[in-house]
Amino acid sequence: MSSVEISALRKRYGEAVALDEVSLTAQQGELVTLLGPSGCGKTTALRCIAGFIAPDGGDILADGVSILATPSSKRDFGVVFQNYALFPHLSVAENVGYGLLFRKCSKDERERRVAEVLDQVQLGGLEHRLPRELSGGQQQRVALARALVIQPRLLLLDEPLANLDARLRDDVRWLIRDVQQASRTTAFYVTHDQAEAMAISDKIAVMKNGRVAQFASPREIYQRPVERYVASFTGEANFLGVQVERELCPGRFRVRAGSAAFDVKGAGPFTPGTKAVLLARPESLAIAGVVAGQLQGRVTKSVFLGAVQHCEVVLPDGASVRLGVPPDRSLPPDGTVTIKLDVERAWLMPEVAA
Amino acid sequence: MQRLPRLALGLPAVLLLLVFLVLPYAEMITMSFRASQPGAMYGLGFTADHYRKVMTEGLYLDALARSLLNAAFITTACLIVSYPIAWHMSRARGRKALLLYACVASPLMIGVLIRNFGWMIVVNVDGPFNRALLAMGVIDKPMRLLFTQGLVALALVHVFTPFMVLPINNALRNINPAVLEASESLGVSRFATFWKVIFPLSFPGMQPGLILVFVLATAAYVTPALLGGQMVSLMPTLVVQTLIGTFDWPLGAALAVMMATAAMVVVILFSLATHRLMERVRA
Repeated sequence: MSSVEISALRKRYGEAVALDEVSLTAQQGELVTLLGPSGCGKTTALRCIAGFIAPDGGDILADGVSILATPSSKRDFGVVFQNYALFPHLSVAENVGYGLLFRKCSKDERERRVAEVLDQVQLGGLEHRLPRELSGGQQQRVALARALVIQPRLLLLDEPLANLDARLRDDVRWLIRDVQQASRTTAFYVTHDQAEAMAISDKIAVMKNGRVAQFASPREIYQRPVERYVASFTGEANFLGVQVERELCPGRFRVRAGSAAFDVKGAGPFTPGTKAVLLARPESLAIAGVVAGQLQGRVTKSVFLGAVQHCEVVLPDGASVRLGVPPDRSLPPDGTVTIKLDVERAWLMPEVAA
Repeated sequence: MQRLPRLALGLPAVLLLLVFLVLPYAEMITMSFRASQPGAMYGLGFTADHYRKVMTEGLYLDALARSLLNAAFITTACLIVSYPIAWHMSRARGRKALLLYACVASPLMIGVLIRNFGWMIVVNVDGPFNRALLAMGVIDKPMRLLFTQGLVALALVHVFTPFMVLPINNALRNINPAVLEASESLGVSRFATFWKVIFPLSFPGMQPGLILVFVLATAAYVTPALLGGQMVSLMPTLVVQTLIGTFDWPLGAALAVMMATAAMVVVILFSLATHRLMERVRA
């Protein structure tokens, strides 16, 4: 139940830079996700916040006060680990109550709080089981309960769903979000799974080589990414090489791709005549009848998936794009199609990251 | 067909145990019931007299109790010495780990006689240990350490340490480091974390270490005989005296059987007492 401000956090391991000027903020009650591939520094950042490792530079403030000098055991942060890290020799109730053992908390109150939080994570009735007698999903819920029972100022989750199978992942993810919202606990969440990040976060920090590439809401990250890396890491993305013609009004540009011209949104500034990249998510593309001034292409692959069919279309300049087509739509035998771009859903980005 | 090869694989071990464990024990137990006869290994017929003697005469019971208590003391001391070493070893990596392994195993690399003669030289009234203390002014006349029970205990702890360190090190290495971080993040001090988490989770290493050292310490003969002199009678010394001193093989066998049984009972009681903990912490 705190606001957290991370400023210019740095960490090196020998020559390797794990964190490079990482700055993030989490308002009270927000869930902030650190998203990125392995080795991008997201776990290092989380471990710095938890106090398991000390950063080389920068600061971490909780409610405006630096916590770098505070040992992990005094930070009052609940941590949920990827491999659960439950105490294997303690029962479910003992695991959850562990953090209360050494606090000012009577036995009755401890039992009441343990029962309450176990109920919250839907584990009532399993109090006396040992961790090894539980499924992965149940173990992760015990880990969540154990972190929550101390009513932490901050909840830190390190890839909590990575070891679960796909079906369980959704359940536990919903549960984490519900419990986090209900307790209004500020949380940092580390994952490499963009769908997970989109579904659970108030804000996402997309990380790349120890840097934060973009820090914004899931909607913003998906619809208005600052660079190709962010766009491709947050979902299926097609990139069209275009030439900027001119700025029509602030935030809207006319661009040309081959013979087609589009009036698209983008953050700019773009100098007329320069090359830029147009992001077109599959859902912003459709196959249309032949219309002048649109992109022409040839379908090279298509797969029928039931609710939708996925096509890959090669454009005259050799680039290929992927899009979804309604399942009842038949494709022309020679494969030649016109692609219609929904300009409101396309996004213009600079060729290289700013 | 599936079961046959597996049986065949176990056969050498079964044969080995049969020839070198079961048969000798059977022979020893048989011997312990034979009648004694001066001038011969044993006489005609069978008797339970030796056990009656062993169970009623204070000399033997005292020696047995002393041996078990001694072994318990040595085992405890060994645990206290070994745990910190095992902890450091479990944290060490690469060359440092290798070096520690070599140091820990070093007592076993020297034969029992040479090791004990080494102790004799070191702690002799005129030996380097006394000289060093004299030179430093810690003592003003040499200490008599040889032929004391303290030296025997020290020498036994020294040689049994590897049997305690190695399994504990193994168990400590098996503890997921994230578990310690979890404890820390829950606001629990390192001291409390040790007693609540590390200590119980290292028990799967402590149990075999404790059993091994206890059994070895109960049966230790050479070190007490060489470094402890003949003042205190321990069970193994009595067994050997009876066997080769008075040449009373049936009585010696009865004493040996009693010693083995007593040690086994202690081990079984210990295993039963720690069974619940073991069940909880087994990997």
